[in-house]
Amino acid sequence: MARTRRSRRTLTVIVLVVISLSLISLDLNGRSHRITSGLKSVANDVYAPLRQGVLDIISPIGDFFAGAFDYGSVQAQNEQLQRTLGQLRAEQAERSFQANQLRQLTALQNLPYLQSLPVVTAQTVDQYASNFTATVTLDKGRADGVDVGFPVVGAGGLVGQVVASYHHTCVVRLVIDGQSKVGVTFGTKQQYQGIVDGQGPGNDMTADLVPPYTPVHKGEVMYTSGLQAAAFPPGIPVATVSSFRTAAGASQETIKVDPAADLSQLAYVDVVQWVPPT
Amino acid sequence: MARVALVIFLVLMVQQTVMVALRIGGAHPDLLWLLPITAALLDGPETGAIVGFWAGLAFDLVLPTPFGLSALVGCLLGYAVGTLTAAVDPRAIWLKPVAALAGSVGADMLFAVLGAILGQQQMVQVDFVALFLVVGVASVVLVLPVNRLMRWALAGESNRRSLVPAEGDAGVW
Repeated sequence: MARTRRSRRTLTVIVLVVISLSLISLDLNGRSHRITSGLKSVANDVYAPLRQGVLDIISPIGDFFAGAFDYGSVQAQNEQLQRTLGQLRAEQAERSFQANQLRQLTALQNLPYLQSLPVVTAQTVDQYASNFTATVTLDKGRADGVDVGFPVVGAGGLVGQVVASYHHTCVVRLVIDGQSKVGVTFGTKQQYQGIVDGQGPGNDMTADLVPPYTPVHKGEVMYTSGLQAAAFPPGIPVATVSSFRTAAGASQETIKVDPAADLSQLAYVDVVQWVPPT
Repeated sequence: MARVALVIFLVLMVQQTVMVALRIGGAHPDLLWLLPITAALLDGPETGAIVGFWAGLAFDLVLPTPFGLSALVGCLLGYAVGTLTAAVDPRAIWLKPVAALAGSVGADMLFAVLGAILGQQQMVQVDFVALFLVVGVASVVLVLPVNRLMRWALAGESNRRSLVPAEGDAGVW
């Protein structure tokens, strides 16, 4: 009797493990990925409004306590924001003329300039859903013209890239995620190239494949390169240099960089409807 | 199975609305693993594995990690906890906190390693000290309420506290 129970228990676990492994291989296989992606899409369409409903209920409670405990800092923050808003309005007026000129020049050179590309403004509805990936979920999906591979910008630079698009939501892999790789250019004439690699949340990003002793300075901005078959249009700020050194005998310079975008301020972002030229 | 499904859904919503906002050192508590752990403690390894599988599958639908990975780890976790604690007096007060701590940390470790084996290298590039601390401590704190929910859910299974069919029964799951 006990042996029967034991063997049935083992069989149950084996069956469940086999099903799980089959689902994983379905998901990782290029052709059958559509099946699992479709399942996730349907689930997200059902889940997103439910989740939003729960958030709408609990957010005021959290905000009430946060406001009550941090009243002083909220007031100071509000004043600071108003000052910044005033400065930005003045700067915007100054820059509109320059931006117009730049747009005309880039159009003449037939370069895909970000401001001439269509964008979909989206709201972030979920951040870091898993402890193991640096992703955010946006409230726009295929029905809004958002597709896999589209770059996402905001908060001062490149935020990431859409890696999954469902009917009304999409998942964006942030530039700090360990799977993220972005081709960049830098230097006074944008003559140097490298690849900015995400190293996971909480770790410094690195700029790799930069030859030893390449001149670089702290705070230097690296932009998307937009080279042939690049995944991003050129000219988007990706990262700023935080430290650099070349070890003796090293085949490349060790450069640590910070994201150009402030990834703690991602309430709203722009999804750029851009596909690499073929 | 309806009560178990309801508990899985409830925990999923709490995880994705409240827990993800409680980020400390880049990590947030993970309630998922408490479902197979408590099911295994209450009703043995087979129930633990079944609950772990279904809970993992539900979480897989909304997580950006490979589909099926949480189900696999949840299933193995439930089975392991049920088997390893089979000989322990279930009334021991240390059992639930210790199982929650060790089970959650072990599940996260397995999840990251399997993810890396499957090509998701970023899954081993996290701050494991912060992750284990946050997940471990939160699991110890939250194991009792989740255990109460699971007890209620399993008690609803044909009034015999088991998802596992008795000899000759048709499968419940």
